[in-house]
Amino acid sequence: MTLLADLILMPLVAFVVGLLLVLMARRVRAKIERRVGPPFLQPVYDIVKLYAKKTQVSHGVMHDLAIMMLLGGFITAEIFLPVPGLDGLAEHGDLITLVYIMMVPMLGLALGVGSCANPNGSIGISRALTAMLAYDVPYVVVIVGACISYGTTNLIDIVQIQQQGGPATWGAATMPILAFAGLLATHGMLGKEPFEIYIAPAEIATGPMTEMSGKYMGALFVMQCFQLYTVGVLYTTMFLGGGENWLFFLPKVFAVIFISVAVTNVYGRYKTDDVIRWMWKWPTGIALVGLALVMVR
Amino acid sequence: MSDTTPVIPDQPEVCRTVDAEERGVWRRVMDRFADHCRARSLFVLHYCTGCGAIELPPTITSRFDMERVGVSPMVTPRQADILLITGYLSVKTLKRVILSYEQMQSPKYVLGFGSCTINGGMYWNSYATVKRLDQYIPADGFIAGCMPRPEAVQQVFLDLMKKIDAGQANAWQDYYLNYDRYLGNQMALFGEEWHTPVDVIAEAEHYGYVGDGTRGRFTEILDRHAAYALRDAPEDYPERGANERLLP
Amino acid sequence: MPFALPFDMTSLDLLMAIAAAATVLLYLFGTARLGGYLATLLHGAALAVTVAMGLDLAAGAGAIPSSLRLTVLGQQLAWTLDGLGWFFLLLTTGAAFFSSWYMAGEWGRVQQRARIQHGTLALNVLTMVLLLSAGDLLGLFIGWEFVSWAAFAMMIQAGGPATQAAYRYMLYALAGAMALFAAILVVHGAAGGFGFDQMRAALPDMSTGMLWTLFALFAGGFGVKMALVPTHLWQAPAYSYTPGASSAFLNAVSARMGLFALILSLVKLIGFDTLAGLRIPMTGIESTDILAWVAAITMVVPTYIALMQTDARMLLTWHGIGQGGYMLLGILVATPLGVAGGLLHVFNYATYQMALILAVFAVIHRTGTADLDELGGLITRMPLTYVALLMGIIGLAGLPPMNGFVSKWMIYKALIVTQQPLLSIAAFVGTLGTILSVYKLIHNIFLGQLRVEHREIREAPWSMTLPMLVLAGIGFVTGFAPGLALSIVDQAQAAMGVALLPHHLGGVVLATGSLNMLWVVGVLVGAIGVGALIFYVLGNRRFETHQYDNYAGGHFLSADIRYHFSHEFYPGLARVIGPWYRGWVVRMEHGLGVLAEVSGDLWHGVFRAAYTPLYVLIVAVLGLFWAGGAGGFGS
Repeated sequence: MTLLADLILMPLVAFVVGLLLVLMARRVRAKIERRVGPPFLQPVYDIVKLYAKKTQVSHGVMHDLAIMMLLGGFITAEIFLPVPGLDGLAEHGDLITLVYIMMVPMLGLALGVGSCANPNGSIGISRALTAMLAYDVPYVVVIVGACISYGTTNLIDIVQIQQQGGPATWGAATMPILAFAGLLATHGMLGKEPFEIYIAPAEIATGPMTEMSGKYMGALFVMQCFQLYTVGVLYTTMFLGGGENWLFFLPKVFAVIFISVAVTNVYGRYKTDDVIRWMWKWPTGIALVGLALVMVR
Repeated sequence: MSDTTPVIPDQPEVCRTVDAEERGVWRRVMDRFADHCRARSLFVLHYCTGCGAIELPPTITSRFDMERVGVSPMVTPRQADILLITGYLSVKTLKRVILSYEQMQSPKYVLGFGSCTINGGMYWNSYATVKRLDQYIPADGFIAGCMPRPEAVQQVFLDLMKKIDAGQANAWQDYYLNYDRYLGNQMALFGEEWHTPVDVIAEAEHYGYVGDGTRGRFTEILDRHAAYALRDAPEDYPERGANERLLP
Repeated sequence: MPFALPFDMTSLDLLMAIAAAATVLLYLFGTARLGGYLATLLHGAALAVTVAMGLDLAAGAGAIPSSLRLTVLGQQLAWTLDGLGWFFLLLTTGAAFFSSWYMAGEWGRVQQRARIQHGTLALNVLTMVLLLSAGDLLGLFIGWEFVSWAAFAMMIQAGGPATQAAYRYMLYALAGAMALFAAILVVHGAAGGFGFDQMRAALPDMSTGMLWTLFALFAGGFGVKMALVPTHLWQAPAYSYTPGASSAFLNAVSARMGLFALILSLVKLIGFDTLAGLRIPMTGIESTDILAWVAAITMVVPTYIALMQTDARMLLTWHGIGQGGYMLLGILVATPLGVAGGLLHVFNYATYQMALILAVFAVIHRTGTADLDELGGLITRMPLTYVALLMGIIGLAGLPPMNGFVSKWMIYKALIVTQQPLLSIAAFVGTLGTILSVYKLIHNIFLGQLRVEHREIREAPWSMTLPMLVLAGIGFVTGFAPGLALSIVDQAQAAMGVALLPHHLGGVVLATGSLNMLWVVGVLVGAIGVGALIFYVLGNRRFETHQYDNYAGGHFLSADIRYHFSHEFYPGLARVIGPWYRGWVVRMEHGLGVLAEVSGDLWHGVFRAAYTPLYVLIVAVLGLFWAGGAGGFGS
């Protein structure tokens, strides 16, 4: 019964928190540009509007399946990502599993975009995968370092280990260098400037989203909510001690995303090769130093 | 969709015809809710061929901030709700506008920006520009002036929102219901070989927007393209085989 | 054996008989109208016998002997099959079954020399049975040579570039055989015989130098077959240009014979403990560390070479080399989890790689090309092949819900638990490259714009689609319930003398984070169902449009405009890493060439009369050493 509640609640909570994260991202951007920004319910309006479109153009069965894989993959990821009070199925799949489950929606999206037969979309996916290769190299160094440091890949245990002694036992305190590298990789993972090579509206017409309309686009908006939430929660779980309750937990998640959206607005866009070079030089280098410290300790 | 009468082929006989106005409360509440959200989330595709584009940056950015009311720019027609034609259209660009319009998903709204889209404006006697936008695609609103100020642009957005919220911004249905007339006007300008890759009639049939004016003598000309099979098409025939519906 | 056999035949005898009969029969009748189905039948029978053997082994039979005897140099050679050999034998007969099924129908009818394809396939199976059931080192060597030549016969049948590749392969294989022969001589010198037990008994007395020599010779000799870096250059072209199902067979199991022999020689005979004691002085680097790093490089470098291929077959075979690195690395972790992961990966790889190669050849069968720049949009024309390829690439990339994820997870996990961060990072990085490369594969063939010339293409016939779909299905089932495959792996692991990994149907329970694929896959499938529900219930129904109704900045698309992005699919990445590895590979091949030239010159000089006394002296000294060694240890 608890499990059933977890299965239903975890994705729902993720979605609602994700909506708030999207709202925060847009509000922060507006404030930095000295605008008022969108109203409170804007993310909901956008999604409902897109689902309520009266014509829904599809580019074949794979295009539809992609949308299902997109939502299904993220719903699964949320269920394997423990949050305060909701452990879900985190016992049955660990951090490594979660990282790879998170790639399922990406693969789904990539396949759907490919079947749209639009080169803008294909270029977008090509760049998105390249960016993934770029930011995942430091990210796996961070993950491996963290797992070795905690001695487990079980996310519930990782949270418990960090909560033993308050902020002093948080990952960010015990391995600050790895945590910093993780933050840089997280920023790349969110696909914000200067790493938004695969959206690049003025260059490849929003890449993967080029041919997306109606509920297809709506699913992508939903995916954005899930993505912000997952990335924020994962970082909080790994380095900020998770949270005993939602009151302590959510501010940390928002803080992680806030750092990213706050810095993103002052940047332009890198070229694809510069993203790779930067990601493989700085975050990877820092992460390797952090890893060395973990191994020496 | 209250003012349309979808034509459903082979409708089974029922004791009495259900009036569209009489549909379930749930459905009406949902429609109302959807219209409410539609009015508050408008993605705009700027067709910036004319000089009016210069008025859009202030409308969007910090001076007037259209995101306050849920209006934000989008990149491709697939994603957009509003097609904003910012100024004059030459015959050549009109083709692209029509294609972009057809690739947008309904409900979709067209706003003509500046006098040029209303009566040709300062290009009223040019051989190469289009005088009236709404002869070729159905428009929901116009902004008069040359140039209109950002305040005027905002005003037309707000008016459109009111119309959408009330469920009255239905010009897009006219394109399906009277496709033949619009196609006729387009053919008058571009010639009889004119067609886009978008299959408007199939779409209208699929979603039940077929009216008396959907098919007519101009769509018959369109059907003649069936003769141009993919490989039999003459080399010089433009856009041959573009419309797969028209292939044998 | 659950059923009685005539003439005191053991099941291994029966299997050998079937394989030998298949070789002769198929060479004679392979081209006949029902020859293909005869092949499927025979290989199916072999598979059934193998499965029955597995039941015997699971019941505790120990090892299955053969009645085949041979006396060489006063040594009686015998053939017996233990759990390790059986594990690889299952893959061999399974792969042969699916390959012959694929060739049975339309494929066989359109081939010029179906008889040769069937015959060489059966010959390969026969030689592999001999290799896998070798009871001593000499038998191993004989089997190894047979396998090499059988694979060569399979490769040269197509002619053209395949022949070139096959000659290249033969050079590498001969070099490997030389190393192996030297190793056997060293063992014989030390142990006085070719028996496995004799060798094990002699191990404690061997000097460190001798052990290093054995380690290097075995690893080098068998590593060639596995295409471990730096001997990896031959494999991709040799396997790629072999036609159809033969290529799938080679990819799935042929290179794995190298792994089998490595496990046999290094793990079963020398043993992890002895290897762990073998350290480079002053550094603490163990012999297995060196091999693990070779495996890690094999994992990463060929994967990124695969990423830049434009031929679908080459792309897959380069990945095959990379995947071999995972298997070896997992086994070298030497914990039950790592070994089980490595062995499970052998099984999983065989299922998805075969499905992938067969799918690619189905595309070639229909379109006549495997050039990734010349295809696209085939999903509407060949949906079943697409499904097989899709499931295959998910397995190859190691993503849930396919089986490739499970074995890779076990390998990552084993590396992290044993605190080997750099090797685990290498494993992760290899997987990342694989994801990029497999997307390119499926995108360039099946997604994007359909070419005009492919408009009339039909789906591949059932005789070809069914085998690959069944293989992909096995991949899914063993991903959903990896316990099924892990019980098979247990046989091999027990025979290797490694502790078994406790597992259940859904995966493993570990104190440091468990994996239960029943939940993972169940939830994933359920959640995709929820996604489908959301998709169909919310929002108006979909309208399917065609590929020319597409955003092109207002441009009108038509059939004569190529609107497809496939050439140089990852330009940004190519600009960054292109220069690294291109230079690396070219330099290395050049280096090998120079090495061959110099050593050739050297030996040429040695053979010349000028050095005759020296040559005689060397031979005499070696002979004395040989005789003395053999006499000393043998008696």
